[in-house]
Amino acid sequence: MQNRREFLNLLCRGTILTGLAATTGLLVYRSAQSGNCQLGSSCANCGKSGKCNLPQALLYKETVWQLDPTKCIQCGRCAENCVMTPSAVKVTHVYAMCGYCDLCGGYLKPDTKNISTAAENQLCPTSAIKRKFVEEPFYQYTIDEPLCIGCAKCVKGCGAFGNGSLQLQVRHDRCVNCNECAIARNCPADAFKRVPASKPYLLQGIEAKNEEKG
Amino acid sequence: MKQKIIIISAIVLLLALVAFMVKDFFFSRPDNSNPYAFDVEKIRNGDTAAIAFAETLQIKTSLEEIHGLATDANGNIYVSGKSGVEIFDSAGKTKYKVKIGGTANCISVDGNGYILLGMQDHIEVWRHDGRQVARWNSFGPDAVITSIAVQGNNVFVADAGQKVVYRYDKTEHLLNKIGLKDPATGVPGFIIPSAYFDLGIDKKGNLWVVNPGRHSFEKYDFDGKLLSSWGKASMAMEGFCGCCNPSNFAFISDSLFVTSEKAIERVKIYNADGSFRCLVAAPNQFEAGTKGLDLAVDNRNRILVLDPVKMRIRVFELK
Repeated sequence: MQNRREFLNLLCRGTILTGLAATTGLLVYRSAQSGNCQLGSSCANCGKSGKCNLPQALLYKETVWQLDPTKCIQCGRCAENCVMTPSAVKVTHVYAMCGYCDLCGGYLKPDTKNISTAAENQLCPTSAIKRKFVEEPFYQYTIDEPLCIGCAKCVKGCGAFGNGSLQLQVRHDRCVNCNECAIARNCPADAFKRVPASKPYLLQGIEAKNEEKG
Repeated sequence: MKQKIIIISAIVLLLALVAFMVKDFFFSRPDNSNPYAFDVEKIRNGDTAAIAFAETLQIKTSLEEIHGLATDANGNIYVSGKSGVEIFDSAGKTKYKVKIGGTANCISVDGNGYILLGMQDHIEVWRHDGRQVARWNSFGPDAVITSIAVQGNNVFVADAGQKVVYRYDKTEHLLNKIGLKDPATGVPGFIIPSAYFDLGIDKKGNLWVVNPGRHSFEKYDFDGKLLSSWGKASMAMEGFCGCCNPSNFAFISDSLFVTSEKAIERVKIYNADGSFRCLVAAPNQFEAGTKGLDLAVDNRNRILVLDPVKMRIRVFELK
């Protein structure tokens, strides 16, 4: 009876010691590996930092997340799912496409009685779009980015009633470039993809014009 | 006995807890409702009480694309589009097919049966038997011809690309330009964010031109003097919605305006003074996103609507 207890005791101690030794060895090995990593701070926010193989890390370094406006269905999840508060997805105004309309479908609620900047007339829940008179009958609409939560209400209004010049984009001065983007994981339209960091935006209109210019 | 009851109760509670956890873990779905939802469909399916017309006929075309619609004094219906013009009788039976080179964005028929086609940058004149009578010179590389109207010897041409209306005679002689911005005479200039720019002559011989960026109609004399205007920008029934509307119009009976819009696809009638009269077709009668609902009115006061998505001419009559 005593021998069996001693045996079990020894077995447990041995298992714990082996486990500790293995864990320490693994940590030392990973530390040595990450010390050799040439990618520096670009891996800081990657969940696989120090654990990846090199091609994957290079891909991570050279690409960023972006939203394809042609696939976006304005579901509102960009506002809810981003790890940043407010979301790193913001509405971007492609001025080259804008009609500078007085009756802007992206700015005004459809049932508004008067076309004015009164809060009750604005479609944006945070009043992040600013309306400025240019000359009769043109108005310029600019985005107050810190206020924008990326809910896409204005994008839907502009697409339905206007030229579609308001488009959602991941803003890279805010995006922390997570390895697994929380919005991309929940995007029902599969609109998020990795794009080259050297060409990080996917705006429609401008993109098409740039391609035409070749 | 008491202990048994406690044990049984505990087991039941445990089972209920496990069942709840299993359901929550495996069967519950996350709430994906959009707290920022903007229901555009609600607007499209809005008020239909003002509909005074009923759809009585649909005419299917054999053209690949359809862009322009016109009628003549005998009630014949003309449709222009990619590579051709199709002519129907008033019952919708095909009478003639004219093969053309290119795409005719707009069409007009004069009193002598000549068919004027607005191509991208020029006008072509054809006969119903397939003969090309004339080909006008180009209006320039930026020209986008969107509407033609003929009155006597005058041919009015709307050029959306260069934001101007040309007045020509039938021998292709330019008489004057209409609608160029001129603060001295109060002409505001045409604002055309997209290539929808229609014009027409009413029964009294007045030239009316849509200024789509201002959501208004402007009346000019033939020399280009602005006489009057009306129109209101609004998503509501009595106004013109979106970025640039109305996209097309025609006249019915005593100078009433029949208008069509994009964004909120609807066909309406306005009185001569610009007040809203009634609805001809509601947004839910068209596919969402339909653009270019060209209009014509035939000799029986039927309203003809070109539906480029359904590839049909849709005929509406007063209920």
